[in-house]
Amino acid sequence: MNLQPSPDRALMIDAQAVEKWYANGFHALRGASLQVGRGEVVVIMGPSGSGKSTFLRTFNALEEFQKGSITVDGIALSNDLRRIDAIRREVGMVFQQFNLFPHLSVMENLTLAPVLVRRRSGAEVESQARALLERVGIAEQAHKYPGQLSGGQQQRVAIARALCMEPRILLFDEPTSALDPEMVREVLEVMQDLAADDITMVVVTHEVRFARQVAHRVVLMDEGLVVEEAPPETFFTNPSHGRTRRFLEQIL
Amino acid sequence: MNGPPTPPPIDARPAGRLATGLAARLRRALFATPVDALLSVVLLALLIWGAVGLLSWATTRADWAVVRLNSALLLVGRYPLEQQWRLWLLAVLLAAQAGLSWGLLRASPRPDRLGRVPLWPRNDRLAAVLLALLALVLPAALGLALTLQLRWWALTGLLLLIRWLAGRWGPQRQARLRRLVPALWPLLYVLGLWLIGGGLGLRAVTPSDWGGLLLTLLMASFAMALSFPLGVLLALGRRSALPLLRWGSVAYIEFIRGAPLITLLFVGQNILGFLLPAGLNPDRVWRAAWVLTFFAAAYLAEAIRSGLAGVPRGQLEAARSLGLSMPQALIHIVIPQALRIALPALMGQFIALLQDTTLLSLIGLLDLLGTARSVMANPQFLGHSSEMYLTLAVLYWLCCAALGLGSRALEHRLASRPTGGGP
Repeated sequence: MNLQPSPDRALMIDAQAVEKWYANGFHALRGASLQVGRGEVVVIMGPSGSGKSTFLRTFNALEEFQKGSITVDGIALSNDLRRIDAIRREVGMVFQQFNLFPHLSVMENLTLAPVLVRRRSGAEVESQARALLERVGIAEQAHKYPGQLSGGQQQRVAIARALCMEPRILLFDEPTSALDPEMVREVLEVMQDLAADDITMVVVTHEVRFARQVAHRVVLMDEGLVVEEAPPETFFTNPSHGRTRRFLEQIL
Repeated sequence: MNGPPTPPPIDARPAGRLATGLAARLRRALFATPVDALLSVVLLALLIWGAVGLLSWATTRADWAVVRLNSALLLVGRYPLEQQWRLWLLAVLLAAQAGLSWGLLRASPRPDRLGRVPLWPRNDRLAAVLLALLALVLPAALGLALTLQLRWWALTGLLLLIRWLAGRWGPQRQARLRRLVPALWPLLYVLGLWLIGGGLGLRAVTPSDWGGLLLTLLMASFAMALSFPLGVLLALGRRSALPLLRWGSVAYIEFIRGAPLITLLFVGQNILGFLLPAGLNPDRVWRAAWVLTFFAAAYLAEAIRSGLAGVPRGQLEAARSLGLSMPQALIHIVIPQALRIALPALMGQFIALLQDTTLLSLIGLLDLLGTARSVMANPQFLGHSSEMYLTLAVLYWLCCAALGLGSRALEHRLASRPTGGGP
């Protein structure tokens, strides 16, 4: 499962020396850099407050940054709104709190964006949505509302919703952190299934087993910087930085 | 509203000790403890004393001629008699559309948590009976001609019949067809304005001839329909990231909320007349309608803003991360949820707006209150203002109660979809 990224792989995300200050002056990112190749699965770990979620959210411009550069799928992120919309169409995101639309049915949650943004026909999107719900194992819930589903089911709907836009990159922001323990597994299984596809994934998570089994590379962030990048076997057994070792001691 | 549910028997004492039925429920609700009993007795006595006093006054000492002889004036003002068929036609259309909407609102394809939705829930039975009673008693009490009484019965019958048909057959129709019905309201409104005002082949009836309840409802509905989108825009403007838009919205809202409506109405009547060129100067009725609209928009904006604040940030982020543009995200994701949160406050504002139309009488318009005041100024009816004001109170109360019931039904309907996207 663990493939080394080949050096000639097309870069999907190229973030260089990204710095971000929040409005209150907090220096959240202090020059973080990361490159992600096509089809790669990268897991970002790190203590809370290390800037990993903030970093992830700069990739689809949910967070602004002040210094450095980010190129996503060949498009440089700037304040140009049309470019941001173009990037967001290609980058799906799965949130910690699911953020399903509570006033729309599961099916409408999936079909809304493809019909509105990609201007595809409703019937076509609906059959695709049905297939996606089948894939994440909740085809029979299509007519229900998000509030009627369990947390694990909601997160699987959120993944299917992101996939329905046919993104080339999927960002996961702590997708299992808000779930009851017995529901973590069903979501991770769906993510593992996706990783086998050609889709590029960047996952912020604390799930060590997922990182070991699925990631091509694991990244440790601390105090707004990428401290260590390594294939999972090296990362978990023989990290080169003392900071990584201390972090692993705390979570393993 | 309801008495407490009958608790299950706690012990196995003989059934005779367990009180059942209405008497028992009343005893539990009113006389559970000595203090409760005392309060209940005092309040009941006051209530009965007041009701008996009012009833004996209404039936013996009151002279209802002031209302009976002016009922047409109170309803439609000086609307020309030979053109009133247009209003009857409009009433028929409104009754049909109201019945259709009522029936479809109730015939929810999504049953509530208890299972299926009964065709006539308890509140609906109550409303239907009240409507029927009203249609039977009021025209007769007003001493209307039998043909006119018959028309009121027919209107009510039509409304209830269509309510029944829509509730019975509505769920089987296609969803798209059902979504069409709310869209009929604005169409009907424009049609109604044409029927009332004339033009385009109909004889024109100028706004100064509209009056009474007709003018009151027209002004209130006009201001509601137009202040609502304006309020949404103002609320969005107040939360906008663009400083000029934000300051402009804040300044507008705070200015309007800081000025009494009556002063704005006078400003609208007098100053606008000097400022605008003669050709652009709308009729004084329409001037007042626009002032009401701009006034209500500021208050609605604040209610909608509280709704917008209640929509979690993650909703906008999720919509944007799916590639929706800001307007798309607002229209499809944020505003529907915000309106749902703000619905009770919005309805409160609408009811207040309906009552605010009484101020129109102070600037000389013959709305329901204005017409009533002009009637009471007639020497023939001197000394009978109590009868008139009581009638007005009941009429306004009926309109507001209808709004309140409609809003409660809508809230109930929206609440049957479970909320909460988060854990």
